[in-house]
Amino acid sequence: MMGNVLTSRIATDFFGGVTSGIVIALVALCLVIIWQSTNILNFAQGAMSMFAAFVGMNLVFHGVNYWLCLLIAVLAGMVSGGLTERVLIRPLYGKPEINPVVVMIGFLGVVEALAASIWNNESATVPPPFSLTYFESNGHTILISPNAIFQVTLAVGVMLLVALVFRYTNIGLQMRAAALAPEVSKLLGVRVDRLLTLGWIVSSGVGAIAAVIVSTGQTLAPTNMDGIFVSAFIAAAIGGLSSPVGAVTGGVLIGLTNYYVLDFWSPNIAPLTSVVVLVAVLFVRPQGLFTKNTTRRV
Amino acid sequence: MNFLKNSRAAFPTLFRFATVLIGTLLVLFITFFLHPIDNSKLAGGAAVTVVVLGLSWLIGLSGQVSLGNAGFMAIGGYVAAIWSNHHAHSPLLVTFLLATVCSAFVGLIVALPSTRLRGPYLAGVTLAFSAAISPLAISLNTLTGGSGGLFVNYLVTPTWFAHFIGGSNELIVSNAQWPTDVMVVVAGVSIFLMSNLFNSRTGRAMRLVRDDDVAAELAGINVQRTRTLAFVVSAAYAGLGGSMLALLSGSVTPQTYSLSFSILLLTLMVLGGMGTLSGAVIGGLIYSYSNNLVSLVNNITGISATSPLGANLKGIVFGVLLILCMLLSPRGIVGFAGAFRNLKKRVIK
Repeated sequence: MMGNVLTSRIATDFFGGVTSGIVIALVALCLVIIWQSTNILNFAQGAMSMFAAFVGMNLVFHGVNYWLCLLIAVLAGMVSGGLTERVLIRPLYGKPEINPVVVMIGFLGVVEALAASIWNNESATVPPPFSLTYFESNGHTILISPNAIFQVTLAVGVMLLVALVFRYTNIGLQMRAAALAPEVSKLLGVRVDRLLTLGWIVSSGVGAIAAVIVSTGQTLAPTNMDGIFVSAFIAAAIGGLSSPVGAVTGGVLIGLTNYYVLDFWSPNIAPLTSVVVLVAVLFVRPQGLFTKNTTRRV
Repeated sequence: MNFLKNSRAAFPTLFRFATVLIGTLLVLFITFFLHPIDNSKLAGGAAVTVVVLGLSWLIGLSGQVSLGNAGFMAIGGYVAAIWSNHHAHSPLLVTFLLATVCSAFVGLIVALPSTRLRGPYLAGVTLAFSAAISPLAISLNTLTGGSGGLFVNYLVTPTWFAHFIGGSNELIVSNAQWPTDVMVVVAGVSIFLMSNLFNSRTGRAMRLVRDDDVAAELAGINVQRTRTLAFVVSAAYAGLGGSMLALLSGSVTPQTYSLSFSILLLTLMVLGGMGTLSGAVIGGLIYSYSNNLVSLVNNITGISATSPLGANLKGIVFGVLLILCMLLSPRGIVGFAGAFRNLKKRVIK
């Protein structure tokens, strides 16, 4: 009986949807962290994460341990995030809101083209640390593999860690204060400009983990994160762009919607459905589902 | 000089018409002397000019950032291809109008919910829209030919034009030149219409909405309607440009209208000069000669065009140009030229 429920089509899609949704949620969380601190939507988030994943995971093909590669990818992500904020973003504070959008889109193009030109002939798949074989019950597959469990655990673990840091540590408190009231925080001795950089470092590190999760068991390709970035933006916007909880909920929601639509309808319709979901949500609540009503217009 | 200034003030529309007419005729004249390869480059540039014009109007004048114009180009391209494959003898004007209207209609559907959004939100929604268009085109494969796309063989050179060209290899020359002349004329008409829009009541209202929407509302402008109109016009121009490009290249595929094409459009607009007519034309010209520009970079840096770096050089060059332009001279080449002129004036005085 139990086996039947777990292998039914609804349940299969549910597991698949949650696994892909949790990665979307992770990227959406990165977008929210940057949006909250600097009011910039990081259009290059996906490409930057993928670049970092390349730096680390490419070493797998040269015989380096998977976990060490993961660590290197995260470090690469953090360094590139910090540098991006210092070099590209810092001159843009206080400029019209079009300027950072345009610059980040240009950066997206540069990063993807660079990645494609550096790692052009790596077509091997990244070997997963755990088995990709799905569990079975009475000859029917349940769409859960040890690797999927690892992916979800890692993603949820990272989210919890980020939440704990923001909620309970001194530096997290300072970051929230800097995002909420930069002037007051400055007067109280918080070094706001450093925290802005730190926000980019954290989000790029988290993004690198997301990109590694996506690429595990797949070929490394510079455009791996493109679709996920679009979904992540939709998820973050559904949640209201400034609510981490909303972003994560939105991510899982979009992952599930995508999976059900592609299974019951057509895989090519899935991107359109998520746009429709987003537009419907924004039509009803332009400020997103998870933010309190404010007078700020989006 | 004074006479020119006076007549410009007295008959602004007539003056704009004359300027565009002279410009178009001049370019048409030049096409008779250009090499067929340069002619086809020019034709592509004319098509892209139309798209960039729409984007410049939307971003520069109404302050709404859209990354969805490649999606509207896809709609225009597919409509033109499907229509002309079924009605090979319908006049060019009908095909172009149909592509424009269909794209504008989809633009309206997207605009109604989206123009309530601002800045990055709108950019993200339109990005998601344009990302959804290619898979949609693939899934409607009975209509669109699936992932292989459609072939169009519609821009047939009329015999009178071939005779007009004359010479020994009249067919080869006229086959390259006819599409170019058609596109130049369409681009000229689009520029004239847009120049009127720029200076119309709506255009002025749009600038006010961009700079201060509260003031605009107090002045009796319907902010929502103005933004929606801006979006629809931009979608119509993108659809027209997309249909021009589809007829020129003789095919439409879902892969053509990718994210990188949207980025390229944005780059051309910013480089030329946001919110200016001449900026859009400069953007179109840059597109025409973008491959020459990239091979120039190839020659200077000594990177082989077939190496992995060389194959991706276009993306890198244009991305870097976009970033540098936004950081150093946000008003593009036109703004830079204007600043230079002012400087010269001051020095002379």
